[in-house]
Amino acid sequence: MATHAPARDPLAGTGAAGVRRESREWLWSLLAGVAILAAIALVPLSGDDAALSLWTLIVMFCVLAQGWNFIGGYAGYAAFGNVVFFGIGAEAVALTLLNGGPFWLGLLLGTLAAGLFAFLLGLPVLRLRGHYFAIATLGIAEALGELVAAKAIGGPGGEVSLTPPDLDFHIANTLFFYGFLALSLLTLLGTAWLARSRFGVALVAIRENEEAAEALGIPTFWYKVGAFVLSALPTALAGGLYAYWFLSLQPTGEGGVFDVGYSVSMVLMTFLGGAGTIVGPLIGGIIIEYLVQTTTVAFGDIHGQLLGALIILVTIFLPQGLIRLVRELTVSPAGVKLSYTRRFTEGVRRVQRFIASNGI
Amino acid sequence: MPNAQILVNWLLIGSFYAAVALGFSLVWGIMNIVNLAHGSLLILGAYVAYFAFTALHLNPFIGIILAMLALFVVGWLIQYIAINRVIRAPLLVTFMLTFGLDLLITNLAQQFFTANNRAINSSLAGVNLTLGAIVIPVQNVLAALIAVLLTAALSLFLARTRTGNAILAVGMDRDAARLMGINIARTYALTFALGAALAGAAGAMLAMTLQFQPVDAGQYTLFAFVIVALGGLGTPWGALAGGLLFGLATTLSGSIQAIGPGLQTTVAFAVLVLVLVLRPRGVLGKAFYS
Repeated sequence: MATHAPARDPLAGTGAAGVRRESREWLWSLLAGVAILAAIALVPLSGDDAALSLWTLIVMFCVLAQGWNFIGGYAGYAAFGNVVFFGIGAEAVALTLLNGGPFWLGLLLGTLAAGLFAFLLGLPVLRLRGHYFAIATLGIAEALGELVAAKAIGGPGGEVSLTPPDLDFHIANTLFFYGFLALSLLTLLGTAWLARSRFGVALVAIRENEEAAEALGIPTFWYKVGAFVLSALPTALAGGLYAYWFLSLQPTGEGGVFDVGYSVSMVLMTFLGGAGTIVGPLIGGIIIEYLVQTTTVAFGDIHGQLLGALIILVTIFLPQGLIRLVRELTVSPAGVKLSYTRRFTEGVRRVQRFIASNGI
Repeated sequence: MPNAQILVNWLLIGSFYAAVALGFSLVWGIMNIVNLAHGSLLILGAYVAYFAFTALHLNPFIGIILAMLALFVVGWLIQYIAINRVIRAPLLVTFMLTFGLDLLITNLAQQFFTANNRAINSSLAGVNLTLGAIVIPVQNVLAALIAVLLTAALSLFLARTRTGNAILAVGMDRDAARLMGINIARTYALTFALGAALAGAAGAMLAMTLQFQPVDAGQYTLFAFVIVALGGLGTPWGALAGGLLFGLATTLSGSIQAIGPGLQTTVAFAVLVLVLVLRPRGVLGKAFYS
């Protein structure tokens, strides 16, 4: 029968005790996120160039997932074309550098352009719901990539090769690593602020029931546009950093800056960690990108199959994400004191019920 | 190119597109699942038809039937084992699940069948009817006719048979249908199996008329989505209307000099976004599948 699972978001807490408990949780999440990033910040000390470039990629994907979390996790809109902002950021940096402009100007222009694009694009597409929104955003990303390739922006077929920065190779790579890390920290702080702000609460209301939110007087449309723009900004910055770090760009195809694979990674990472949580995208991003990179090396031939199987297992058995799984297994209901073993066994039962409630 | 030739090309490619989207439309309309593995099921169907022709030396039109049977079984298993477990979850979950399936199937196909381009070169390939300056490839005409026949057959099956009515009932209200004694899990498996079988048929037509390889899967999934969104979700005829409209957009944009052939997908998506904004239900869309 239709056993509707209780809403499992931090703002659904009922009663004063529940609210107080949740309001400490944002702080723990933020501290956990900062601790994770601080640990990653030690990577360049090892002096290993391979490890440095691996973790630069991982942190970049964390930023992408964190950016997607604003529109996909908090507002609950299935944006499948967020790679378009990554591409705009990368193209802006590439074109600025090709025309002799400074790197910071390219980053600034890319971020402004992506924010403006998200605003103008949001006006029509955020009136769409569900699958239609997903595919409209997906289509726009595909179309823009094809346009860059067909109009040969930046070079034949849209392919660009940039001159590396005038710095020692190792120092430049270390700087890019810390650039991505700072961006991730900034996005983490932004998410923590959002989760506690009126804006964030409105987005969660939209995710849970848009009609009810509208009826309560929340200007849902403008909040959605705001969330879309917010998710575009870090994504565009990451694209700009990526362009100057990676140096050679192509618009379409695997690894192209408009490749839908990036969008899928954002969604999968956010899902694995926990969509609409502060630190979830960070954790999901680290786990998935680390697995992807290491399995590509170890099982190059079948890493696509492994990734596909991983996605299937995560969506069936971990639909709420790791953060909420840990919460279910460790936290007792509001106002009740339970031993840790009781919490765990009760938690396992709740999680099993939740997974079963998704099926027929 | 004479205008009549453009018209013929449009009708042929349009009906092929309709076949591409038919199964996708059924699965989406009944179960509210956007099946991102649709394209890879279609490519699997193409391989079944290809090997039926090259290894078993069967007529390509028998290959269509074989592809439908094989994909029916594959679809049934996918729904029963995997998708039924997340059918009540938010839409992103089924989105991700079918994407994972797509990745798995496409990569397995690449591993076992290699990334080579394949096509069926039967005795019918290259046989053309010529009317003045107009060239009509016979094999494509037969494929187009089969596409229209499949649309009509699906429509009749849903409207006239007890099983078809059960599928529609489940699509309208799952819980009410269960109270009427319909087995939901089995009906969903049947629906997905039918959708996969139709994808298989489209794949067999693809193998007959064009080249294919595993990585083409994503493109056909995208096409199916655009076509269904254009034509509307409520009915099998929506897929046909959408296929013809999508064919019109790609054929016309390919023949206009200012746009050129490199931007066909862009034009198609531009049309899609316009339609979504102006008429979100599509051209023939209804509130539920019938």
